Amino acid sequence: MSQVEKKAGLLRRTSSSKKPLKEKVVLMYDEIFAKEDPAKNNPRFWDELFLMKVNLEYLESKLESVDGEDVQRIQDNINSLFHHCVQALGEEHQIKVVNALQTLCALFRGVHQKNKSASGFDIINMLMGFDKAEQRMKDLMERLDSLLCGDSSESLKSLCLKLLLCLVTVTDNISQNTILEYVMINSIFEAILQILSDASSRGQHGYDAVVLLALLVNYRKYESVNPYIVKLSIVDDEPTLDGMGMVVHQALTEYNRQYKDKEEENQGGFFSTLTSMVGSMFIADADEKLSVQTNEAILLALYEAVHLNRNFITVLAQSHPEIDIAATPTTTTPTTPTTPLGTTPPSLDMMSNPELPLDPNLQTSNLLITFLKYASIVMQDTKDEHRLNSARLCLIILTCIAEDQYADAFLHDDNMNFRVSLHRMPMRHRKKAVDKNIPSRPLVCAVLDLMVEFIVTHMMKDFPMDLYLRCVQIIHKLLCYQKKCRIRLHYTWRELWSALINLLKFLLSNETTLLAKHNIFHLALLVVNLFNMFITYGDTFLPTSNSYDELYYEIVRMHQVFDNLYCMVLRVSTNTGQWKEAASKVTHALVNVRAIINHFNPKIESYAAVNHISQLSEDQVLEVVRSNYDTLTLKLQDGLDQFERYSEQPKEAAFFKELVRSISLNVRKNVSLNTLSQDVLLKEFSTIS
Amino acid sequence: MMEDAELDLSPVHSDQNSPSPSISISSSPSLSLPSTPSSSCGPPQATTPPLGVINEGVAELSLVIDAEVAQRACQEVLQKVKLCQVDSDSTLSQSEEGPDAPPSDPEGPAPGSVKSARRRQRHNPSKQSWLLRLFESKLFDVSMAISYLHNSKEPGVQAYIGNRLFSFPHEEVDFYLPQLLNMYIHMDEDVGDAIKPYVVHRCRQSISFSLQCAWLLGAYSSDMHISTQRHSRGTKLRKLILSDELKPAGPRVRRDPLALTPFCPAAPPIVSPGPLGGDHSLSPTKRTHQRSKSDATVSISLSSNLKRTASNPKVETSQDEDCSSSSDSLEFDSRPPVRLAPQREFIKSLMGIGKRLATLPTKEQKTQRLISELSLLNHKLPARVWLPTSAFDHHVVRVPHTQAVVLNSKDKAPYLIYVEVLECENFETSSVPIRIPENRIRSTRSVENLPDCGMTPEQRAGSFSVVPNYDNDDEAWSVDDIGELQVELPETHTNSCDNISQFSVDSITSLESKEPVFIAAGDIRRRLSEQLAQAPTTFKRDPEDPSAVALKEPWEEKVRRIREGSPYGHLPTWRLLSVIVKCGDDLRQELLAFQVLRQLQSIWEQERVPLWIKPYKILVLSADSGMIEPVVNAVSLHQVKKQSQLSLLDYFLQEHGAPTTEAFLTAQRNFVQSCAGYSLICYLLQVKDRHNGNILLDAEGHIIHIDFGFILSSSPRNLGFETSAFKLTAEFVDVMGGPDGDMFNYYKMLMLQGLIAARKHMERVLQIVEIMQQGSQLPCFHGSSTMRGLKERFHMSLTEEQLQLLIDQLVDGSMRSLTTKLYDGFQYLTNGIM
Repeated sequence: MSQVEKKAGLLRRTSSSKKPLKEKVVLMYDEIFAKEDPAKNNPRFWDELFLMKVNLEYLESKLESVDGEDVQRIQDNINSLFHHCVQALGEEHQIKVVNALQTLCALFRGVHQKNKSASGFDIINMLMGFDKAEQRMKDLMERLDSLLCGDSSESLKSLCLKLLLCLVTVTDNISQNTILEYVMINSIFEAILQILSDASSRGQHGYDAVVLLALLVNYRKYESVNPYIVKLSIVDDEPTLDGMGMVVHQALTEYNRQYKDKEEENQGGFFSTLTSMVGSMFIADADEKLSVQTNEAILLALYEAVHLNRNFITVLAQSHPEIDIAATPTTTTPTTPTTPLGTTPPSLDMMSNPELPLDPNLQTSNLLITFLKYASIVMQDTKDEHRLNSARLCLIILTCIAEDQYADAFLHDDNMNFRVSLHRMPMRHRKKAVDKNIPSRPLVCAVLDLMVEFIVTHMMKDFPMDLYLRCVQIIHKLLCYQKKCRIRLHYTWRELWSALINLLKFLLSNETTLLAKHNIFHLALLVVNLFNMFITYGDTFLPTSNSYDELYYEIVRMHQVFDNLYCMVLRVSTNTGQWKEAASKVTHALVNVRAIINHFNPKIESYAAVNHISQLSEDQVLEVVRSNYDTLTLKLQDGLDQFERYSEQPKEAAFFKELVRSISLNVRKNVSLNTLSQDVLLKEFSTIS
Repeated sequence: MMEDAELDLSPVHSDQNSPSPSISISSSPSLSLPSTPSSSCGPPQATTPPLGVINEGVAELSLVIDAEVAQRACQEVLQKVKLCQVDSDSTLSQSEEGPDAPPSDPEGPAPGSVKSARRRQRHNPSKQSWLLRLFESKLFDVSMAISYLHNSKEPGVQAYIGNRLFSFPHEEVDFYLPQLLNMYIHMDEDVGDAIKPYVVHRCRQSISFSLQCAWLLGAYSSDMHISTQRHSRGTKLRKLILSDELKPAGPRVRRDPLALTPFCPAAPPIVSPGPLGGDHSLSPTKRTHQRSKSDATVSISLSSNLKRTASNPKVETSQDEDCSSSSDSLEFDSRPPVRLAPQREFIKSLMGIGKRLATLPTKEQKTQRLISELSLLNHKLPARVWLPTSAFDHHVVRVPHTQAVVLNSKDKAPYLIYVEVLECENFETSSVPIRIPENRIRSTRSVENLPDCGMTPEQRAGSFSVVPNYDNDDEAWSVDDIGELQVELPETHTNSCDNISQFSVDSITSLESKEPVFIAAGDIRRRLSEQLAQAPTTFKRDPEDPSAVALKEPWEEKVRRIREGSPYGHLPTWRLLSVIVKCGDDLRQELLAFQVLRQLQSIWEQERVPLWIKPYKILVLSADSGMIEPVVNAVSLHQVKKQSQLSLLDYFLQEHGAPTTEAFLTAQRNFVQSCAGYSLICYLLQVKDRHNGNILLDAEGHIIHIDFGFILSSSPRNLGFETSAFKLTAEFVDVMGGPDGDMFNYYKMLMLQGLIAARKHMERVLQIVEIMQQGSQLPCFHGSSTMRGLKERFHMSLTEEQLQLLIDQLVDGSMRSLTTKLYDGFQYLTNGIM
């Protein structure tokens, strides 16, 4: 050791000179990359190596610079290095363990960097040698597992997770990372769960653990049996699931908080007045500023949990106190805002504290509420690819939630009322709602609000058809549940109706541009069928008899939209073309709406004529509607309350592949071993030894 | 006459034992120790109930005494009493001897010459000897025992009664527990010493008794000055109990070597799968281990390994406990001295919630907070905890947190929770149920409800169950969804006329789907308004009064609903309980009122007077906290009026039907009987603050008074306003059919009968109150005339005719006081009569 220190001291002193002396560790690396077995001359070579501070850059660059033919030459040495790394993980000496972990990281990264095109098998061969690979990886995973589960130091555990994250993300496409096959065989799933179930370890490593799990679940998801999927789907241990939910909750809350901060920063002052005056140009600018980097990794974890594990649904409704800025002023480390995938998960102490703090201003919240808020932010602007992905994933998660019976039960639970303040996009034609007086309502109202909000704010040239479809389907699923269970939700359905009618209007007016890219008839059909749900089954879930009258009023009032839609679909369906069938479905679906319009319009006109009124008031129209129901006959349509269940494969597979790729890139970028500076570790371990 | 039978035996004893050297001991209070195995004390007398059940430990010496010993102790004390008697008599000379010696005994000069001879032999059969005979008679019940314990100044008598307590059934003594403990705290040493062995003995036997005692001791000691309180007997006993040293005596309980606590259910003697059998049906897998201390502690050490196989039920529990011990302050199950700990922690956390709720400004925030706090509490359940207000043994398994409501109160935050429990044979020894995760409902439900998932009449064309599952993900976990959910139909749907047509629509569409089916828009609209009208009796949700809706829902329906939503609902022993948690309120007066009500109820029952009252259970936890058993199926008159906007009579008509229907008449009779009961209670106890929020109306038409915060000598600050004897508004009279109706006369007649019956057993009522007055600072005992006033209201001196007049005046006065608020007639007339 003393020799090393001396060297280091020398190095420091001469650092300004042109030819710095090489560190001892670098010399040792060089030895490894020589032909000879480094242990030949120095039997204690490996022992010494792991006492040395790792030079990641050098090692990685060295690995990258190895030429094709050299590979064969030094493979034995690299295999040996890998082998000794794994062995060193079992050492009592913590510094050796740390160095071994970091060296392994460099090995994985360096080898992959060099051989981007190489097949996974070559890489395995180069790192471990084919014949020994299985044993080596088994040892490695077992060592990591025991480090993670044992009572080793927290920094060490953190480093283990970093190594795993590093290993999982070395390839752009996770499914091409053949080494992970060994991670599948030697599962570390239980270790991850243990981290999540314990409050203190969850606080420190929960974030990494959840991201790691989300990624592992996506390894060759569609091709083979992934044991992580199977295991995750059957976890029923509540503390663990709660822990997972808590981690997601924290991350999303942190995002919401940052967004709110930025929003407040941008408000006030002349800038905001300027934007409102000058308009969209500046709003776009403001949006730019408002964008906080989204966090798809954590959202993916949430999705996998909701999608795969039915027990997780209860966690969504598990109450937590809302983490306000005021509540956690000390814990927000300055690094977190810029690196959402960085190493420090937000607000550690809140997670480790199961007792609710005694703060009267603290609203209780739960994962679902936080998620809805997050979704409302993310959905505001879908231009950016990350945000589009985030929004899509949010809607997919909501789809899964809307399909789940238990989730629906608590969404509609009359006893669980919450105020959910969703973020609304600033738009010219409407004022930013002063959301102080949001009533406390069942959670499903917030979901519906979010859907309505999305519908009215995304009618744009670059039409997010896919998101609209999901959105309308979510509403449909919720209505099916309400109809089925006869839940009369006190919701202002009128807003939904007018949003849907406006959507139809938009589809009509942009028919040609939209048709070039999308099947607008499918969306139109879904929308019309929502109306059919209300018309034919309204008696089972509408809150008041007046609301049924209002539905008719709204349809009659906006009859032109339906008329035009009918004309359009009729035209398309009579022509031969690719949309013929799709359009004719819409014509059939419109039968009742048209019956209503054709029935009431003449009645209203004659009422106006008889009473000599040019413009009927709403009440008068409602009166006409009420007195003329009995002569109207509607056609019962089949399958209005049936829906296609969500399934990831095959429809969504491509999306998830792409998403996981982008998450991998992001994680790789952010997993920096340097964040856990060696100094910290050394300080920690010097006291131990 | 009874005494004659007894007399033969007891004097014999006294004769036999008279030479025993116990006179010297008789003054010492600790004489109950059977130092001398006094000779041939005969077989248990017919009069005293068999003592065979008793196995007691006397005093702190964890000496175990079995039945015979206790019996002997009793006998011995008896001897001492008699000897004392003889002693004092002899010293007093025989001046009192004479034909009038037994003044109260009509059969004094009984024909039995032997008896009278013996009596004479003892010179003076004064009061004490009559006492003796009384004590041994069948008539001697707990009530009398308590009364003599309180009134007698004689240490011997007190000691005797202290021992006699062992022979009464537990439930009977339990009723007087507040009195016993209050005497223990506030009366002199002798009484305390007489009571203590019994209390200690019972504490050893029962966790719940221990806790009851500890809570009551704490509550009733609180009125003492702080300096004396710390060293008082009550505080010491409380500490002793809470230290958990009063465990069941060693040799009696066969201990499992692994068990760290005596209450480890690992070796419960009760293995018989009784009629309940709940504990056995609980475990889905045949578990050999019970969730117990021993398990937990063992598994904690193994937890690092065990934890990692999450779906193993055994590990789950261990993990659960592990968590609770590692991260939570709330440890229901932990360290060795856990006999009382889980329950204390449970109660403590409920109180903690109440305290925290009180800091929140709005009802809505309180409600939300309550729900989230309770959901956290759920994580620690099931545990060996129970609701002390319940009548049967059980373990709490879950708190359906979303059902909890905050009750209306200005500054405090009382709240009502529903608690799911599993009935068990003995909560101390039966094993604690294992935890079933929250979302297990779904699987259990789908299995359970299979039989009734047939066609629902409401299903229209395109039955719901055919939701196509395009999922080829092989997702075993997504089996059930909305599509398979069953509709919970309101019962009323079956009589809706258009169901038939709807039904036929179903069949038509399923048969010939080509043919279009038509429905009339008018039908849909009509159905909508009909169905909305079908549920008129549910209250509207009001964020300012969240409890109204919760309380209005019929109990049966609520039970069914919660059971359906509960993961434990499928278990046969599942029960739903509810409790009001009060934090910051002194419930000691409530407890007193409860006791008086209970007493009167049993008096009326005994005398066969059909007055109806509903005493609700009170649990005093400290001088400022406690729990109340809610009255189910009842809402306050205030809520009734506010929600229905009807007069009380109209509300009755709405709820029960037209005035001539059976249902209405039944409800009306119930109303009258309960009114009569509570009118008397209000008069006797001077219950004040009778606004509509404090009077409940149950689904059968009974009224129930709640909140006895102002009784006897205390009244709200706006005093003078409520001068009437009880609350009898015009609305009440209207429901009874007006002041000239038969029912109104029936009401007055019931009151008269009730008062006569109460008067007959006045002592039983007075005694409860009187003992509690001891050392109490409660406002209801304010002033010096509390007892006298109470006694006077029984009007012992009046004839029945005069009583009838009195009732008429009371009723009249109460009726008129609401119009005139003057209330003079009654005052004058009653005073005049008296």
